[in-house]
Amino acid sequence: MADTTSKVPESEVPVKSDKERRSALASNPDYNPDVIVEAQSLTKVYNDFWGRQKVRALKALDLEVRKGEVFGLLGPNGSGKSTTMKLLLGLLFPTSGRALVFGQDATEVTKNERIGYLPEESYLYKFLTAEETLDFYGRLFDMPANVRKERTEMLIEKVGIAHARRRQLREYSKGMTRRIGLAQALINDPELVLLDEPTSGLDPLGTREMKDLIVELKSQNKTVIMCSHLLADVQDVCDRIAILHQGELKELGDVGSLLEIGDENDVRITGLNPEIEAKIRELVGSMGGTVVSVEKPRTTLEDLFLNIVRESEARPGVRGTRVAQGLEKASADNENKKNQN
Amino acid sequence: MVVEDFKGFWEWLIGGVNYANGAWLTFLFICVATALVAIFVGYLVAVIRHGPFEAFYVCAKVIFQAPADILGTSPRRIFAIARLSAKEAIRRRVVLVTFIIFALALLFGGWFLGTRGEHPERVYVNFVMWGAQILVLMMSLLVSAFSLPEDIKNRTIYTIATKPVRPTEMIVGRIVGLTMVGTGLLATMAVMSLAFVWGGLNHVHELDLDNPVEASFAEVNERVTGRRPSEMAIKEAFTTKSSGHDHVVEILEDVRAADAPPPADMKSVIRVEDRGNKKVYYRVQVRNVGGHSHSAIVDPNTGEISLSGAKGFFRARVPLYADRLDFFDRDGTERVKVDVETLEVQLDDFGNPITEGFNIGETWTYRGYIDGGTSLARAQFDFSNFTPDRFADSEMIPLELTLSVFRSHKGNIERRIRVGLQFESIPEDSRAEPIYRSEVLEFESEEFRIQVKGIPRNLPGSLISPKGEEIETRFFNLFEEYAKNGRLRLVLTCLDENQYIGVARADVYFRAAEGVYWWNFFKGYFGIWLQMLVVISLTVGLSTVLNSPVTMLVTICALVFGFFSADIRELTLPNRDGGGPIESFVRLITQQNMQVKLDESVQVTIMEATDRLLLRLLEAVTYVVPDFSRLNFSDYVKFGYNIGENRIMVAAVISFAFCFGVSILAYFSLKTRELAA
Repeated sequence: MADTTSKVPESEVPVKSDKERRSALASNPDYNPDVIVEAQSLTKVYNDFWGRQKVRALKALDLEVRKGEVFGLLGPNGSGKSTTMKLLLGLLFPTSGRALVFGQDATEVTKNERIGYLPEESYLYKFLTAEETLDFYGRLFDMPANVRKERTEMLIEKVGIAHARRRQLREYSKGMTRRIGLAQALINDPELVLLDEPTSGLDPLGTREMKDLIVELKSQNKTVIMCSHLLADVQDVCDRIAILHQGELKELGDVGSLLEIGDENDVRITGLNPEIEAKIRELVGSMGGTVVSVEKPRTTLEDLFLNIVRESEARPGVRGTRVAQGLEKASADNENKKNQN
Repeated sequence: MVVEDFKGFWEWLIGGVNYANGAWLTFLFICVATALVAIFVGYLVAVIRHGPFEAFYVCAKVIFQAPADILGTSPRRIFAIARLSAKEAIRRRVVLVTFIIFALALLFGGWFLGTRGEHPERVYVNFVMWGAQILVLMMSLLVSAFSLPEDIKNRTIYTIATKPVRPTEMIVGRIVGLTMVGTGLLATMAVMSLAFVWGGLNHVHELDLDNPVEASFAEVNERVTGRRPSEMAIKEAFTTKSSGHDHVVEILEDVRAADAPPPADMKSVIRVEDRGNKKVYYRVQVRNVGGHSHSAIVDPNTGEISLSGAKGFFRARVPLYADRLDFFDRDGTERVKVDVETLEVQLDDFGNPITEGFNIGETWTYRGYIDGGTSLARAQFDFSNFTPDRFADSEMIPLELTLSVFRSHKGNIERRIRVGLQFESIPEDSRAEPIYRSEVLEFESEEFRIQVKGIPRNLPGSLISPKGEEIETRFFNLFEEYAKNGRLRLVLTCLDENQYIGVARADVYFRAAEGVYWWNFFKGYFGIWLQMLVVISLTVGLSTVLNSPVTMLVTICALVFGFFSADIRELTLPNRDGGGPIESFVRLITQQNMQVKLDESVQVTIMEATDRLLLRLLEAVTYVVPDFSRLNFSDYVKFGYNIGENRIMVAAVISFAFCFGVSILAYFSLKTRELAA
């Protein structure tokens, strides 16, 4: 996904923030503009046709998402992440408790003018082309034609589907569908973006671009709520996370502080040999500490993959794999030994 | 053609003098009743979900949010959803398939229709309009029943409901979009149908005769041909066969006074002879076959006769109906209609008593019968707006009559029943002003067909003072004297004793200048368009709460109710033989007579009470579902009558009011529905 270079001036995007803030204040005197999303004892129970309780999907969830933060909802399948998301969007009604978005009730339709939503699977009209899709969603925000056109152009470039802009979505791969799904979520330049499993179906390159985009949104002071069970993705981009399990909130806080191991530290050293290692162990031991482990640091598989792709794009051709390089080295050593003998 | 409803648009909308029978009041009543039922049902559902107190709060919130929500509706969003729905419907190919079926029907339909029978234009129009109606309504039903439920099922609704889209926009957008598609299809069908009807019916014949043409005609001889010749016919010949039939062409000997105006159609005159103070016009006439004829054009140089294309198929008669029809008894008193149970005189919307003719034992009381052999027993038709500008500058004013005959004895079986026709002025103040009364024009009734009588502009008659004295007797002008205030009374009597003539208000009318056929044809299709609009809005409305198959089923039931609402309403009348649905079923199973009262018991009482409730519910449903017979104009096109603006406006108001009501209900249904559940 390319960097945003052509941005539509904000004044042209019909976001009625001030007006809505005022209306939110009028309907909710406790409204704090810094709190974008608020769940108060939010509970959702699914009943069957006869009204009997089928499943308790969410149990008295309390949380706040503040302006400008990237908030992650984590949990295994069926933990209540998507239910929370749907409650915040007004697609479901709470059994009890309240869901407030921009200080308004989540079922209030006007709040949607400031929201962008990427569903878990891109539920889009397959018979439309990418251009038609974005134009259609632009119309739903009551955007004038020129603004719609500019934003459509910009977003198609941004999500990297310019080559397929006039193809019907039925011909798109899953990754491309996610990209157009993301573009529709951003058509109104939203203040709050809700991403349901944003990296699902994307290749590592797409995943990285998605994460970069989330970081970019954060840099624009937008609020992002994402739910995912891909922990590494959440760890990479989220400021705060909530971990849900069986509909209950199990953990809530900053990613950094939650992942911090209280009394351990990492020290990275180059040129370490057994002698230096022994001395360090001795020194640490004499000072009352313990060296828990000494390991070679490793890059992530994602970084390795991305490096290979970038290198391949820069220098097309067959690249020597590490294994092949190792085998070549071993055979050269054997040859040397034979010669020496 | 049966016409029972003569109300003008405003009379229908506002009602009579006391506004009690106005459509607005019925609409208001239905709205209030539906709203109360909807609130009650909504509250019950909310009670199940949230408990009684919370339910009250939830209901109040939804109701109070509605005005702001509805007012926030954006045309741009509606149009966006409309475009999307239209594209979806087109890309599903249902529209294309519908069009192909219709095109195939037209392609091969001509093989089976033919032009041989009586009034083939009725068969043609019936075929195309019925076909278009069924196909378009089925297509609308299919695409609308799947539109919203498919969005919910495929979850594409998520990306729409999370935008600032109001439920009204989702509903109205869909209705508009699907209507746009249906309109395109229907317009194409209408043009194709018109071309089909025109191409299928229009034909020409030739007169394959030797020169001199007149000499090639045979003498008229009823004994040889077995056919009754026209009045004044002296010779006859046959045209060539075309479209499976031929016509008899006659030469008429039209004798007129020397100073009398010549025949209107001078192009058909072969020669003119002077006979002292009279002139004889020998003119050619083509006899009518199956409701159509051809004009004969005589070449003045060669004497050859050519025939025009078919005339009489493509008509849009503009009838000027009477405002009021009253029946009078043998003693000259009004035959006032009395309620059988209450014995009260029945009044119309304006408080005037309703009169009725004799009942000759038919259960269908559409026509009233006039007793014969007396001038006092009569049917009196009062016309207003009878002004010359409504008629072309023709010599005669066409009066069309469809008369029914009831013979109480055989009489002279070879002679038809004689009818008397008389015109009278209707003065503003009959006590002070004299009245013009024409002489009685006699003619023979012809059953089962429309009789056309040319009424001359000048009629012999008398001017009679309020005291009943004859002031003057001469020819009086129909417009300037008989109907000088635009009002005219036509009095119909049966001249044969103990025989009866039956008429209804729609049976006697003056034919004003004819409307344009193709325009009338499209007005007929506008009726189908209105039906389509109602089906789409009903289906979209139902689909907010039901799934696709159930939506289709309920809409089909509503269509059946809509088309037969009058008949179903009749079933709900009290004191019907056999009782209500449960009682009838019990009688059927136990093989009991319909007229015998059931033995009194608790079970019977419960059964009758339940039946009463069911019948009232059934009756209520017939009022909620729009009366499709009011939206159906195909009979007008079929029988060649112009569809009046009043009728179109009434139908349009009914359709749009229904569409509006359904949209409001659907708004609440969608607003309170969890789209992700």
